Amino acid sequence: MSAATATPPRTGTERRSALPIFTKALTDGWRSLLGWSVGLTAALCLYLPIFPSLGGNPQMQQLIDSLPTELTRTINYQQIDTGAGYTQSTFFGLIGFLLICIAAISWGAAAIGGDEESGQLELTLAHGVTRVQVAAQRFAALVVKVLALALVVFLVVLFWNGPAGLDIDVANLAVTCLLFGGLALVCGSAALVCGALTGRKVWGIGGGAAVAVIGYVFNAIANQSADLEWLHRLSPYYAAFGNSPLANGTDAWTLVLFYLAVLVLGGLSALVLRQKDVGA
Amino acid sequence: MPRLSTVSTSNSESSPAIVAVDLVKKFGSTVALDAVSFTVPRGSVFGVIGPNGAGKTTIMRALLDLIRLTSGHATLLGTDSRNAGPELRRRIGFLPGELILEGRITGRRLLRHYANISGPVPAGRVDELADRLGLDLDRTVRTLSKGNKQKLGIVQAFMHQPDLLVLDEPTSGLDPLMQQVFLGLVDEAREAGQTVFLSSHVISEIQQAADQVAILRDGRIITVAGVEALRDTAIRHLRMSATGITATELYDRLSPLAGLGELDCRPATAGAEATAILTGAISPFVQAISPLRLTNLVVEEPDLEESVLGLYSTPEVARTEAVRS
Repeated sequence: MSAATATPPRTGTERRSALPIFTKALTDGWRSLLGWSVGLTAALCLYLPIFPSLGGNPQMQQLIDSLPTELTRTINYQQIDTGAGYTQSTFFGLIGFLLICIAAISWGAAAIGGDEESGQLELTLAHGVTRVQVAAQRFAALVVKVLALALVVFLVVLFWNGPAGLDIDVANLAVTCLLFGGLALVCGSAALVCGALTGRKVWGIGGGAAVAVIGYVFNAIANQSADLEWLHRLSPYYAAFGNSPLANGTDAWTLVLFYLAVLVLGGLSALVLRQKDVGA
Repeated sequence: MPRLSTVSTSNSESSPAIVAVDLVKKFGSTVALDAVSFTVPRGSVFGVIGPNGAGKTTIMRALLDLIRLTSGHATLLGTDSRNAGPELRRRIGFLPGELILEGRITGRRLLRHYANISGPVPAGRVDELADRLGLDLDRTVRTLSKGNKQKLGIVQAFMHQPDLLVLDEPTSGLDPLMQQVFLGLVDEAREAGQTVFLSSHVISEIQQAADQVAILRDGRIITVAGVEALRDTAIRHLRMSATGITATELYDRLSPLAGLGELDCRPATAGAEATAILTGAISPFVQAISPLRLTNLVVEEPDLEESVLGLYSTPEVARTEAVRS
């Protein structure tokens, strides 16, 4: 038999799109992105408008002062008499951190680990992409989605800045939102790596949550005493928020370091996926 | 065999579709593949059969570089499959044995996504395939039956007209009519010069579709044979009853036949009935029973497990290189 490959003429074909994995990750995720945006907006709209009657109120400050200092230090409620301190304590340091980290971790864990666990990654990898392309494009989609959430937060806080009398410097707000997104991305990328490593979504969630929780707990414990001050160095949470960026801004190094760490974790997930047996 | 990594177009056009050299895969202490070697020429249909757990799926996943070989290497279409680029993967269509598809979107959108990765896909090709298989592309994948999901899997493997099709248990879940439609697609692919590598545990399907068959057992290739050779070694169970004949007459008529074993003849209400197993060619048996007044005749599908066992115990069991017969 002749080995002539009579490939049919390829005319009138449907064209390939650029970055198909990235595009699909974004289009598949729009509902979830919308949901998390609504959640973050709702949280902000619950806390920020009541700043004049809460944080700016001397009686409230008296109440906070009467609480055990260990408690107020743990939940970072020491400086809620300023708009920046209040927004940091109530939103960026607590409920906002919780929400965006859950979003980033669940996306990160699902992107590779969850896809392998469900059995769909196998078929995708048999098509015309390399493993590194799959990991890189899904990582890029994760970054875009988390930064979109940070942008939503930026816009909503900016909206309430005047009406609620928060008096936050816009440049400080911008870098705080970047740190906020960067912190969530560190947790989300850790989830991506752990998911890629194990091929299981639950381990990805565990890995990402460990980074978030340990960061928060180390910060809370280190706040208690000077002897435990060194725990701050191990806490991404402290690295982002320890210096009150909403009031004081941040140095470029901190920002660069966060996004460098995110890139390293993203690269690591690609390397991990490239090496392993998929679905074995 | 020289290791072919990146090769020029002319070289890759003339090289075999698959060259597997001493594939070994261990999962921990379990040896899933034990020095498997075979060659699949371009434009042929090559089948792999074997009992569950023999290593059929492992071979396919190793060829696709989804799992990494402990040792040995595989060359597909002239390119080493290990960490091969998208260009090679676009020339391959794969149907996994355990097909899992995204459930939330329609079949059409799912296929468009895969076409975006592995295309180009000729316009109208997807609809043509779906029509032939009787598949509704506008239904959400989640709502499709197992058979219809399998059809979707077949379409995604065939739609970009790849030079090499790797199909793991392609007809599982399909009804007999659709199995024939599928075998028609395989024939067309062969005529178009595409190469098909498929696995099955249904021997008749392989016999109908394949030029050559590798029989796999416990991670080893027991033999690579032409389809005719396989047919001759196949074991069929048969059951028959006839009128106007006694059990003894029936026994005397059937017992001299070569390849007939475990013959058991019993008297029945208006004649006699017999059961036996038949190895080898079927025509002498048909001639022997042609004068009889048969009321019933059942010749069962050759049983794969028995055939494999039969081959396993024959003396010329050797790991044969695939040579076209």
